[in-house]
Amino acid sequence: MFNLPPPDILLQLSLNGALGGAMYGVAAVGLSLIFGTMRLIFLAQGAMIILAAYFVRALFYGLGIDPFLSLLIVVPVGLGVGWLLYQGLFRKAAAEADRNVSLLIAVGLMFLVQNLMTVIWGGNTAGVVTSYTASGIELLGVRTSFTRSMGFLIALAGTGLVMLFLRKTIVGKAVRAASEDMDAATLMGISPHRVNAIAFAIGISLAGAAGVAVATTFPFNPFAGFIFSLKALVALALGGIGNVTGALAGGILLGLIEAYVQFFISGGWTNAIAYGVFLLVLMFKPEGLFSRPYKKA
Amino acid sequence: MNRALPWIAIVAVAALALLPFAPGAVDAYYFSFLFFVFLYAIMAQSWNLVAGYGGQISLGSHAFFGLGAYTTAILWTGNYLWGSLYDTYPNIYYFDPVTMALGGLVAAVAAALIGLPLLSKLRGDYFALGTLGFGEIVKVLFVNGGDFTGSAFGLVAPASSFDTLRPHYWVALGLMVATALAIRALMRSRYGLALIAVRDDEMAASANGIDVLKVKVAAFAGSAFIAGVAGSLYTFYIFHVGPDSVFDLDWMLLPLMMTVVGGTGTLLGPIIGALVMYAVFDLAKIVVPDYHPVISGLTIILAMLFLPKGLARLRAIPGKV
Repeated sequence: MFNLPPPDILLQLSLNGALGGAMYGVAAVGLSLIFGTMRLIFLAQGAMIILAAYFVRALFYGLGIDPFLSLLIVVPVGLGVGWLLYQGLFRKAAAEADRNVSLLIAVGLMFLVQNLMTVIWGGNTAGVVTSYTASGIELLGVRTSFTRSMGFLIALAGTGLVMLFLRKTIVGKAVRAASEDMDAATLMGISPHRVNAIAFAIGISLAGAAGVAVATTFPFNPFAGFIFSLKALVALALGGIGNVTGALAGGILLGLIEAYVQFFISGGWTNAIAYGVFLLVLMFKPEGLFSRPYKKA
Repeated sequence: MNRALPWIAIVAVAALALLPFAPGAVDAYYFSFLFFVFLYAIMAQSWNLVAGYGGQISLGSHAFFGLGAYTTAILWTGNYLWGSLYDTYPNIYYFDPVTMALGGLVAAVAAALIGLPLLSKLRGDYFALGTLGFGEIVKVLFVNGGDFTGSAFGLVAPASSFDTLRPHYWVALGLMVATALAIRALMRSRYGLALIAVRDDEMAASANGIDVLKVKVAAFAGSAFIAGVAGSLYTFYIFHVGPDSVFDLDWMLLPLMMTVVGGTGTLLGPIIGALVMYAVFDLAKIVVPDYHPVISGLTIILAMLFLPKGLARLRAIPGKV
C-alpha cells in the first residue's frame, strides 16, 4: 500500500510526533486529575493553556523574562489561580449531583477566558520569538528543534512531579483515594472540597507549564485552546481516565498517530483518525491502553 | 401545574403566529430575533429529550444539526429528489417538507448507527466524550467529502428563492410548538415513563422488563431527528452550508446551556432558556459589541452559580414537573 520511507525519516517522524504529543500529554494529566476527583470534563483546560502562553509572552516582551525561566512564575501562579477558580466557581457546583452544572461553568469559563484574551491581546496569531527559537539539536542522529525538546522535558518533569506528589505525600494519597471512591474517601475523613481544590490547583499549574511549552513552540491565538482541550481528552482516553502516567503516554501516542497520519495519508484526515482511535478505545478498552488488567485484591 | 398555563400558551402561540401580519413587523429587528429564539428552542428541546428526560448527556447535537443542514443542501444543489419537477418549479426544495424530513431522518439514522455501539458500551461521561468525538469525525468527513459536500467551503443553495422571512418565522414557530407537543405526548406515554425510569435507575428499569438499550437509542435518534430538521430549517435561512458554520460547536453548547438555564427535564425549560439566553446574548451584542462573548461567558457562570436548577423550576411544586 505505502512505500516505506527510509528509516531516518521514520525516526524523524516518530521523534517530532512524540515531542509534540507530550504537550497533549501534560494537558491530559491536568484533565485527568480534575476528572478523577470531580468527574468534570474541564473543557476550559485548553483556554487556560493559551492564557498561560499569553502570560509568558507578556512576561517575555514586557519584562524580558526568558520563557523557560518564567516557569518559576507561571507554575505557582497557576496553583493559585486553580485554587481560586475552584473556591470561587466550582465549589458549590461540585456538591450538586447534576454534573451538567460544573460542565457548563467550565464552558462559561472557556468563553470568558477566550474572549478576554481577544479583548486584551487581539484575535491575531501571536508567538514568542527568542534567540534560540530557530535553533535545533541533534538527537539519535536526527535533528529536532530545541524548544520542542524543552517542551518534552517540561512535560516529563511535570508528570513526574505530579506522580511523586500522588504517590509519596499524604495529601496526594488523599487525592488518589478520592478519585477512586469519593464516598469512601469522605467517610475516611478526607474533605472533598480540599482534594478537589488541590486537583484543580495542580491541573491549572500544569496548564501553565503546557502554556510555556506552547508559547515557545507554536504560534497561538485566543481560540486555539479548544482543539487542545479535545486533543487532551483523546490523550486521556487513550491513557485511561484517572491514570496520570497513562495520560502522558496517551498524549505521546496521539502525537505519533498524528505525525504518521499526516505523513502517510493526508493532513486533512488527522483529526478524523485521531477521534476514530479515540472512539474505538472508548468502546473496546475504556480503561485505557496502558492500564494493567484489573485484579481484585 | 398551573391550570391557566395551557391557555396562556395557546394565546401566546396565537399572538406569535399573527405577528407577521402586524405592520412593519417583518422588517423589524425582533422578527429575526424571534426566528432564532424558535430555532434554538427546537435545538434545546432536542437536547432536553436525550439528556434531560433520558439522562444521557450528549455532546454531539451539532453533528446532527449539521447532518440535517447538509442533507438539505445536498438534495437541493444536486437535485436528487424532484428530478424534472425542479425545472418547472424552481422553488420546490425551498421549505419542502420531504427534504426537511429527510434531513431529520439522515440525522436520526446516523444517531441510531453510532448510538447502538456507543450506548451499549458506554455510560455517563464516556458516552458524552464519545458523542463529542463523533461530532469531530463527522465534520472532518464533510470537509474531505470532495464535490459531493463542497469540501472546506461547503455548498451554496440558490438564494434567489428568498423572498421574505415570514415562512422561516412560521415554520420555526410551528416546529417549536410541534416539538413541544410531541415531547409532551411522548412523556405521557408508556415510552416516556420508560425513558424516565431508565434515567432514574437503569438497573430497576431493566429489572422491570424495559429494554434499556432500545429506549436510550430511540431517545438519541429522536433527539437527532429534531436537530436534523432544525438544521434543515437553518439551510433555508443561511443558504451557505459550510463545515465551520453548521458543525460549529455552538450548535451544541448554546442549546445545552439554554436547556440547563431554563430547566433540564422540563417541557417549558428549553423554550424559556432559549428566549432568556438568546436575549442576553443579543442585548450584549448591541450594548457592548466588543465584549459581548465575555458577557455571554459571565452569564453562563452566574446562571449556573445561582440558578443551577433552571428558571422553569423556580416555582415548581416538588415532585411535579
